[in-house]
Amino acid sequence: MGLGMLASRVMRPTASKLPRNLLSHFHIRPIVSTPESSAAQAQPEPEPTPPPRAPVAGARVHFKNPDDAIEVFVDGYPVKIPKGMTVLQACEVAGVDIPRFCYHSRLSIAGNCRMCLVEVEKSPKPVASCAMPALPGMKIKTDTPVAKKAREGVMEFLLMNHPLDCPICDQGGECDLQDQSMAFGSDRGRFTEMKRSVVDKNLGPLVKTVMTRCIQCTRCVRFATEVAGVQDLGMLGRGSGEEIGTYVEKLMTSELSGNVIDICPVGALTSKPFAFKARNWELKGTETIDVTDAVGSNIRIDSRGPEVLRILPRLNEDINEEWISDKTRFFYDGLKRQRLNDPMIRGADGRFKAVSWRDALAVVAEVAHQTKPEEIVGIAGQLSDAESMMALKDFLNKMGSNNVWCEGNGVNTDADLRSGYLMNSGIAGLEKADVFLLVGTQPRVEAAMVNARIQKTVRATQAKVGYIGPAADFNYDHQHLGIGPQTLIEIAEGRHPFCSALLNAKNPAIIVGAGLFERKDKDAIFSAVETISKYAKVVRPDWNGFNVLLLNAAQAAALDLGLVPESGKSIESAKFVYLMGADDVNMEKVPVDAFVVYQGHHGDRGVYRANVILPAAAFSEKEGTYENTEGCVQQTLPAVPTVGDARDDWKIIRALSEVAGVRLPYDSLGAIRSRIKTVAPNLVHMDEREPATFSASLKPDFSHKMSLTAFGSTIENFYMTDSITRASKIMAQCSALLLKK
Amino acid sequence: MASSVVKNALKAIRERGLGNFFRELKEEGYLNCLSDGNLLQTKIHNIGAKLVGVDKVGNRYYEKLDIQYGRHRWVEYAEKGRYNASQVPAEWHGWLHYITDNTGDELLMLKPKRYGIEHKENFSGEGEELIYHSKGHALNPGQRNWTRYQPWEPTKA
Amino acid sequence: MLARLAANRLLEIRQLFRQPLSSRSFSTALNYHLDSPDNNPDLQWEFSDVNKEKAKEILSHYPSNYKQSAVIPLLDLAQQQHGGWLPVSAMNAVAKVIEVAPIRVYEVATFYSMFNRSKVGKYHLLVCGTTPCMIRGSREIEDALLKHLGVKRNEVTKDGLFSVGEMECMGCCVNAPMITVADYSNGSEGYTYNYYEDVTPKRVVEIVETLRRGEKLPPGTQNPQRIRCGPEGGNTTLLSEPKPPPCRDLDAC
Repeated sequence: MGLGMLASRVMRPTASKLPRNLLSHFHIRPIVSTPESSAAQAQPEPEPTPPPRAPVAGARVHFKNPDDAIEVFVDGYPVKIPKGMTVLQACEVAGVDIPRFCYHSRLSIAGNCRMCLVEVEKSPKPVASCAMPALPGMKIKTDTPVAKKAREGVMEFLLMNHPLDCPICDQGGECDLQDQSMAFGSDRGRFTEMKRSVVDKNLGPLVKTVMTRCIQCTRCVRFATEVAGVQDLGMLGRGSGEEIGTYVEKLMTSELSGNVIDICPVGALTSKPFAFKARNWELKGTETIDVTDAVGSNIRIDSRGPEVLRILPRLNEDINEEWISDKTRFFYDGLKRQRLNDPMIRGADGRFKAVSWRDALAVVAEVAHQTKPEEIVGIAGQLSDAESMMALKDFLNKMGSNNVWCEGNGVNTDADLRSGYLMNSGIAGLEKADVFLLVGTQPRVEAAMVNARIQKTVRATQAKVGYIGPAADFNYDHQHLGIGPQTLIEIAEGRHPFCSALLNAKNPAIIVGAGLFERKDKDAIFSAVETISKYAKVVRPDWNGFNVLLLNAAQAAALDLGLVPESGKSIESAKFVYLMGADDVNMEKVPVDAFVVYQGHHGDRGVYRANVILPAAAFSEKEGTYENTEGCVQQTLPAVPTVGDARDDWKIIRALSEVAGVRLPYDSLGAIRSRIKTVAPNLVHMDEREPATFSASLKPDFSHKMSLTAFGSTIENFYMTDSITRASKIMAQCSALLLKK
Repeated sequence: MASSVVKNALKAIRERGLGNFFRELKEEGYLNCLSDGNLLQTKIHNIGAKLVGVDKVGNRYYEKLDIQYGRHRWVEYAEKGRYNASQVPAEWHGWLHYITDNTGDELLMLKPKRYGIEHKENFSGEGEELIYHSKGHALNPGQRNWTRYQPWEPTKA
Repeated sequence: MLARLAANRLLEIRQLFRQPLSSRSFSTALNYHLDSPDNNPDLQWEFSDVNKEKAKEILSHYPSNYKQSAVIPLLDLAQQQHGGWLPVSAMNAVAKVIEVAPIRVYEVATFYSMFNRSKVGKYHLLVCGTTPCMIRGSREIEDALLKHLGVKRNEVTKDGLFSVGEMECMGCCVNAPMITVADYSNGSEGYTYNYYEDVTPKRVVEIVETLRRGEKLPPGTQNPQRIRCGPEGGNTTLLSEPKPPPCRDLDAC
């Protein structure tokens, strides 16, 4: 809640009455000041029906059933709301922002901060609006002396034990308590005793606690229990000794723990890596997306000058709601370490020497021309954007080679039908499912936000979850059906007990891990999954529950653009390997005499085998298109300048093509996007989810040709999956803790 | 009063000889008084005033309680030629400006050991190299490295 | 000089605040757990066989999908079994029985001051400190107890027999001041929780010595002139038959 909004709320009683009459008259009459009209204006209007005010923060009213609509009056304005809404929500619809601390729209209602007190007619006492259901005809008053005095009193109590350390508090400037005490509090308190102090808790390397500042709203406790699915935090003690804690020495072992920083209304839980680094008003926010996994969480990069200082989530109901994973939130310090800032060439002595772009590109073009076209191989990394992948593919095609792919895509994966590699139900659509079958995927480490959705669904509807794969940690109830294809075959043949659950389900969802793309028997696995989806009616006109959970940010766009290897052997015969940020390629397969160009932003695994290094921009420094696992196309925006001599990926390839004499026909992002439009038109529809047009090609040929080796776990270390996270110190600390556990 | 000044001067000449007397005159800035009325006035003020303290650069702080309130404290700068107010160190500033009655020697005790830096006079107009530049200033010779990233070092192989 | 002044002033302020702080008390222990040799999560703790039966009986009072409702009786049972206090491993055991996360049990155990999370004596003496008892001299009683036993509040005597704690109102205000003796010397079978009312500083010392000798003594008022909560020396009012209300004629109905 912004301070300005609050201030205007406070001033409204005088401010809003005046212009309302004027406004309504401006519409209907020309502004001519004649004696008659002014006399008419002076007459009191019969029954003034005030125009409805805009709801707070675009709060939408969704009537599931038109009969459920009830009418309440907020400050005299009639509002239509569905039955079951609370008084606070009714006020929000009416455009009145009620102050609150403990209430959070995504968490259960606690009603323990008492800040949201309002007056309700015929109620002897002020009512806690967040916990009070609105009843038909209720007359809610938010601006009366009673409500104001109640708020002021609550605020005085809250500030009683709250330390006055705003100047050294990291929440200062974005603190709910600060804002609301300015707007609703008194200018003095009557408390003269000693304030209490509380021992700080150790919640790990990400969340810093200053528990003396806590106002016991229990948002963090509810978040941990309900959203993160780890019951670690609790409210201990009673009365003035009450405190939030874990009781026993325990770290918060959740991949969503960073979100408690956002939901904490005071400075009790703050970001440890961001502690004392900057004030929030010094930061420039850039609305962009996350590339550490295939979810494409919406984030805001807060930067100061050339530095990324923190990453916060943005609201996107369809993808990440308002949470992000710890990896997304805290990997940003990797953007400042191990950066490639100069083009380099490996000399005869095996050492790298910094050279100019001109020299580096000349060497690469020369070698590329000396190599036979079929021995040229290009691999895009997991952080590549669609534009640079398009440029890479076009460039290598012009050089005569079609050995270009994106890592993690497996050999000859079927990239023709989008439904075969997308999350067809959508991430938000998972909430409709009532049975989940996870095949070779551990959403908790592969896509934490998808896991949060499944957790939410399981918690809300007791949906059943079946899991096939190696033993893994889940934060919701699940059945571990088996570890490998054997179980999958049993389910496909209908011999498994879980089949009945699938058959009885209204909206069954099957989630297949993209780690299976790398298996040789992936076609057999996919046809088995298709058999299951056929008999369990997973794919219907009104519901498509066949989902593939991709691993990398680049993967969906790469499959759309057709960056799929044609054979698994091309890398063994390669003489010229162009790695565009690809670090997870098995370097031992590359022949010793091959010439390797590494174009990327981090000195990670790839550079050690490289002959030429071309520095490129990281995702926070460029504009690039990414498609997430559900097929939603989004773009990153540059938040900070590139480091050193680095350039955007596609520009490097464009320049290289010119030097190599096969000039690519685009000079701007717009031009390259119109080129993409000819290949994959969905990639230019920004911020839109384009569902697959054809449902999965239900191939009936079910075969037993699966190898019976168990599914492996695709991601061993949640915190270190790509070159940026591997360079991050915070992620290193987290994974050290993970290993200790 | 004037006669006692002459008497004192004669006494000093008698005791220390004429050469020493003139050297002292020069060092104490009496010769500058001829061209610098301010200094002359200060010197005349000093007669009969109480010397409250001398700071580390040699500025002398005087007080005389029987003259008009608000003019009863003053400083005679150690530097006789190019003196200016920025030569008064921080600890004496308060006393001199009637902010506190604690003398600079007393206030020196409160100076923080860990981060209190030495007072430096304002050298504006005296040459770039003498002027204080903040740590981020382009002219600061010990300028901070503003590179905000750590480049990859091609160490081995 | 100023530094010295400031230091002196600070000392004065500290002196001012020292007094109230030391007499301020919360429940028996900290609201977080510190590992110690006799209290850490690695220790094994289980209900005894008899108590397992009891726990089953307690659980049968609640619907099978609301097992967590049994948390308070089970914690009480565990406390009786463990000599009057709850180590963290006992809370973990309770959490396992009622199938909730341990933190949910910790929350309950820290909320109620009747659950002791640090060691207590075999006889845990609880002095009521609420207003009526305080006016009738509960502070003197506590002082007398502490002085006699040579311990501080919530500290256990060297022989492990006694500890003194404070309790909020136990509803015996008519016989104030009062103390409660929680007797953990005989395990959960012989567990008693008795009120001793109308005590005096002299009388509590006698009670302690009686308990030390292992003798039983009648609970209730310690004033020989009183019968239960009646007035001293017998009733003084309401001695005759109660009169009918004057407002209406009982015969008429």
